[in-house]
This record gives sequence, C-alpha cells and structure tokens, in this order.
Amino acid sequence: MSARHLSLIQGPSLSLCCSALISLCYVLFSIVFFFSDNQIRSVKSALWYHGYDRPELYRLPSDGSAGSRELLLAFSWLLHRLSLLEQLLARNRVKTGDETSVCTCEDDLPNSQKGITEIAPEYGLEDAVDVRYLQWLNGRLRFQWRSLHAQHQELCKLLHKIHLFTSGSHMDQILGHFSVTETDLVRQPENYKQLLQLLESETMQLEAFLEWKQLEPVYWQWMVMNQTDFGRCSFLDSNIADHFQRKIQESVELKLLDLTYLCAPKKNKMHGSCRLVFRSKHPASKTGFGRSVSKEHVSAVSATEVIRELQMREASLERELKQLREECRQRLDEIAEGLDGVICISP
Amino acid sequence: MSIVTVQLGQCGNQIGHEVFNAICSDIHGTHGLCSKKENESYRDACKERFFCEEESEVPIARAVLVDMEPKVISQTLSMAARSGYWKYDDRSRFCQKQGSGNNWANGYSVHGPRHKEVIMNLVQKEAEKCDRLGGFFTIMSMAGGTGSGLGAFVTQCLRDAFPTSFILNHVIWPYSTGEVIVQNYNSVLTLSHLYQSSDALLVHENDVIHKICAQLMNIKQMSFRDVNQVIAHQLGSVFQPTYTAEGGLHYSRNPLGSFRDPSLYTSWLNPRDAFNAWKTPRAFNKYEKSAALVSNSQFLLKPLDNVVGKAWNMFASKAYIHQYTKFGIEEEDFLDSFTALEQVISSYTIL
Repeated sequence: MSARHLSLIQGPSLSLCCSALISLCYVLFSIVFFFSDNQIRSVKSALWYHGYDRPELYRLPSDGSAGSRELLLAFSWLLHRLSLLEQLLARNRVKTGDETSVCTCEDDLPNSQKGITEIAPEYGLEDAVDVRYLQWLNGRLRFQWRSLHAQHQELCKLLHKIHLFTSGSHMDQILGHFSVTETDLVRQPENYKQLLQLLESETMQLEAFLEWKQLEPVYWQWMVMNQTDFGRCSFLDSNIADHFQRKIQESVELKLLDLTYLCAPKKNKMHGSCRLVFRSKHPASKTGFGRSVSKEHVSAVSATEVIRELQMREASLERELKQLREECRQRLDEIAEGLDGVICISP
Repeated sequence: MSIVTVQLGQCGNQIGHEVFNAICSDIHGTHGLCSKKENESYRDACKERFFCEEESEVPIARAVLVDMEPKVISQTLSMAARSGYWKYDDRSRFCQKQGSGNNWANGYSVHGPRHKEVIMNLVQKEAEKCDRLGGFFTIMSMAGGTGSGLGAFVTQCLRDAFPTSFILNHVIWPYSTGEVIVQNYNSVLTLSHLYQSSDALLVHENDVIHKICAQLMNIKQMSFRDVNQVIAHQLGSVFQPTYTAEGGLHYSRNPLGSFRDPSLYTSWLNPRDAFNAWKTPRAFNKYEKSAALVSNSQFLLKPLDNVVGKAWNMFASKAYIHQYTKFGIEEEDFLDSFTALEQVISSYTIL
C-alpha cells in the first residue's frame, strides 16, 4: 500500500487507523516488497486460487507501475474473506511442539466435477505416457506416503513418552504434563532467551492486532466512502451496511449452536491444528481413556472420537473405491469383448 | 528406524542367524577410513535398526523365529547366545513338535491358520518395541515345505495386520537340480502368493551362491554355513546404514557413474529415477571398500521361466497334485498361480 494513496484520506482517526494497520502489517510480515515480475504473478495466482474474481486486478501490468488501488481492494478482500490477520497470528504463535493437524471434513467435490474423469483427453502419440512409468510413480508415491506415516507414528509415540514421564510435574494442574517446548527448556535452560524473544514478539503482534481491531470499523468506512473509485463491490456493501446486524446475528447463531450441542449428538467436522493433551484413564470418566485433542478454549475432543469418525470415513471411501474398480473392470471387459482373441484378466 | 525380521523354517532361521552375526561383527569391526564420530553414528543407527537394547547385557535381535520343528530354532538360539555379542529373545519363537513334511499346502492351509494368532502376537510384540517401525524382513526358502507354505501365509497376515508397513521377502531360490520333487510346485505357489502381499522380493539363487563359494572363494568342502555366510554378507552390506542419496552432483564423482548407460534401462524410466546410489565412508565387515548391487531387472527371467515351465509340465499330467488337494489347495489355485506368474514373466519380458 503506497503512502501516497493514504495521504488522500481525511481525518485524524483514519490516519491513526491506517498507521495501526501498517505497523501491524510490518510486524507480521517484516518484509520489504520489491515489485518483481514473479512477485506480481504469484500474488495474482494466489488471489485467483482463493477465488478473487475481479478482472481489473488481473489486468494490472507486471511491473508494479500501477494499481495500488486495486491492490488495496484485493488486500481488503483478503482481510475480510480469509480472516487473513487471524490466520497469520495463528501461524506465528509460539509452538508447544505438541501440535497435530486434524481433518475429518468430507470431500466437497460438486457432482458436476465427478464426470470430468470420463472425458478422454485428445492426446497425440507424442504426448502419450507409458503406463508403466505411471505405475512406477504410483508405487513410489505410495512408498513415500508410508514412510511419512511411519515417521508420524514415531512422533506420536515419542510425544506420548514425554507426556507420560512428565505427568504431574506441571504447574497447571488440569493439564498435568509438559509440552515438547517446555521439556526442551528443562533440558537446555540456556535456550530460555530465545523462547523469551519469541514470546515477546508474539505479544507485540497480539497487541498490534488488538489496536487494529479497535479501529477496524473506521477502515471499512473509509473503503466504502471511496467505493466509487472501485466500482461495485458487494463485500464492501455488506461490510458496513450489515456490520452491526451481522454481529447480532453471529451471537444469536452461537447461542443456537450451544443449544443444539447440548441437545443433539455433535456433528462438527474437526479441522485444523490442535494440541495433543494426555489424559490418563479415569474410572469415573465417561469419555474413556486415551489422548484428548483440545483446541484452545473450545471444546476438547477425544482422540478416540476422531479415530472413530475417520474410520467411518475410511470405510465409506473404501466402498466407493470398490465400486469404481468394479465399474472400471466392467468397462475393460466390454472393451475386451469387442476385440478378437483378447481376454481380460483383472488384477 | 527399526526392522523386524521374521525367520521362517530351517532355511530362514539359519540364514537369519548369519545375517545378524554379520551385522553384529560389522558393528564391532574396524571402521576403516571414517572418523570416530562417524563410526559412532553408524553403530547407533545400525543397532537401532536390528537390535533392541534393553537393560540386558547384550543387544537383542529384533526377530521372530518360526519353524515346525524345534531343532533348528534351539540351535540358532544357542549359537547366538554363545557369541557373547548378541542374542535372540527366548520368548520370540514359535515351533511345533513335528515338521510338515515338505508339504506346501500343509504349511499354508493347516499350520498357518492354526497358529496365526500366536505367531502374530509375537510379531506385534516386536513391532511395539520399535519407536519407528521401518518394516518387516522375512527370510524363507521358496521350495521347501514349512518355510514356503507357512511363509506365504504369514506374509499375508503381516500385510493384513500392518497395511502401511513395508514388507521385504528374502527368498532362497532352490538348486535347479534340487532333491525335492515338488519344489517347482512349491516355488510357483510361494511366488504367486508373495507377489500379492509383499512389497519386494529379494532373491538369492542357490546355484549362484554355490558358484561364488566354489569359484570366487575357492571353498573345497562347501557347507550350508558357507553358503549362508555369503548370503548374509551380501544382505548385510545392503542393509547397513548409509547416507541418504544426495543430488546429481555426487554421481559425477562416483566411480559407479558408468551405470548411467541408457541401454541398461527401460525405455519408460530414465536412469536418474531408476538408479540410486547410497554411500557411506564406513567400512563394512573388514572390507575397506565394497559395493553391493541390487537390481530389479530381467536377471531372474530365465530362472523364473524355467521353474514355471517345469511346474506346468508336471501339472499337465497332474503329478503329485493329490498331495495338495488333500489339504485344500485345489487345481484352480494352481491355475491362478500360473496365471499370476505368467503375467510377471510377460511384464519383465517386454521391459
């Protein structure tokens, strides 16, 4: 964002807002931008990937000579659409070392896409790839995936050891055990300086973010005021017009969600980064033993639940795979019938 | 990263013992031209890979010993313990009172299912001792009775119980003028079944090893021990830790660079993908410089074709089939096996 552009703004509150934004961005990104060809191209493709479909941006020249307004608009879109700042904050957090990622989401392939594999591409002989190479590649990928899986299992095993051996040592009675970072600090105390630096930097980022949050409405107001420069932007309209209405709606939805959670079995799809926490077997506990997966202050999910969900998902995918294989087999049989002296032996 | 070895039958147990011996003596042997630190990390990696170091005095091999009769296993266990450098876990063994009379079907359809739970429990115990399970290494003969039938069954069980693990089967290819009359049947059945569950089959041909012993090493009175030691030495040199492959730059300084001749490779895979070199500065088993080549090539095409051909001829006259059908291996199973191996032969022929 060019400083030249910002000087057009009036009002001290807005300049305060923007300086808060700039210092936030500086703290978060800490990079100096030199407009290069590649840079512009990767920004465009990243925006395209996330679904930004404003053609004016993609028509911008690749040397960075023009388009600061379009960039500002795109940036605002990212802020709104991707919760960009929250994501960056989450990514820059000091790691406990106990993180793992969970995903129990269903595939969101729309039905229209499912037919695409049926269309045979028009390949000339020169473009043909030997199927044996593909088989080889498939085998290699499978082997690499298995190695990754084994390494991941090892990580979990060792993490379990750490949690088990440090049980009862933590100041936090509920948590009970050390995290990897904390254990490492005990083993190598001289590293405390580095950890302290990281924590301080994280605090700085959080403070800057809070400052930004206070002034955020001013930013959106200013963007809407300058809307005529940008042409129609639905997300800007909604932002100010429904801003407060949305807030009310959100809190109502949250209340409803709480109610449904209490009344009905949970159907939330877990997704994202979580911290693994060890819970030993309690005879009185209903959820049973084993590791829990807790996501910050939100509800904790037990590992056994996640495993069960994933197993159900696996079973349904296997059924689907079996069905697809049957269809392929039938197709091959049909083709083989049409050829003289050829029989199809399926693997 | 650790490997669990499953020693099957007389052949598997004897060779397995020699393999652990070779590896152990390598660990304690001279480290050649590499530094002390280098040597230590080599030793640590190797120990973790093949041995489990508990509070006991010597490292314990990560192995499960399986045989139908107790004699070979007891011998193996005691020889290892006597070495003083390593030993097996006494509890990690399974054997019965009587053999299976070189009957593949007996091993596969009767003994296998009957003792599946006990054997898999032993394997599970070994697997759990590993922080990171790299996979399974089974050693067996292809043409014998217990080793082959039971081995094929156990490999299947391993695959079912550990779907994401790497399974490497080491098979001993029988002498072409072997004594067991049904060895070709056994070979065909073993190979076709292993092909389904295993990730890779590593083959040692008895004929070839015999030649090595006789001609290269000049051993006059050859015993099985000599044969097994050659095999173990080759396996050891392949399994010992090495540096992970570096970039293409390393190849140009590599004396093995001549392996990049494109005529050595198939048309659909370039040499860069097909050829991998792993190196270590640490000497192996008293050899300061040694190299081992493992290849997936047409080398086995002729022997395989031979075995399948002979088996088919016997099958055409239904000779000895009753020995198999009486334990549940029907003619249809034979046909399936032949089909599977013909496919393998044809894929390798048009390589």
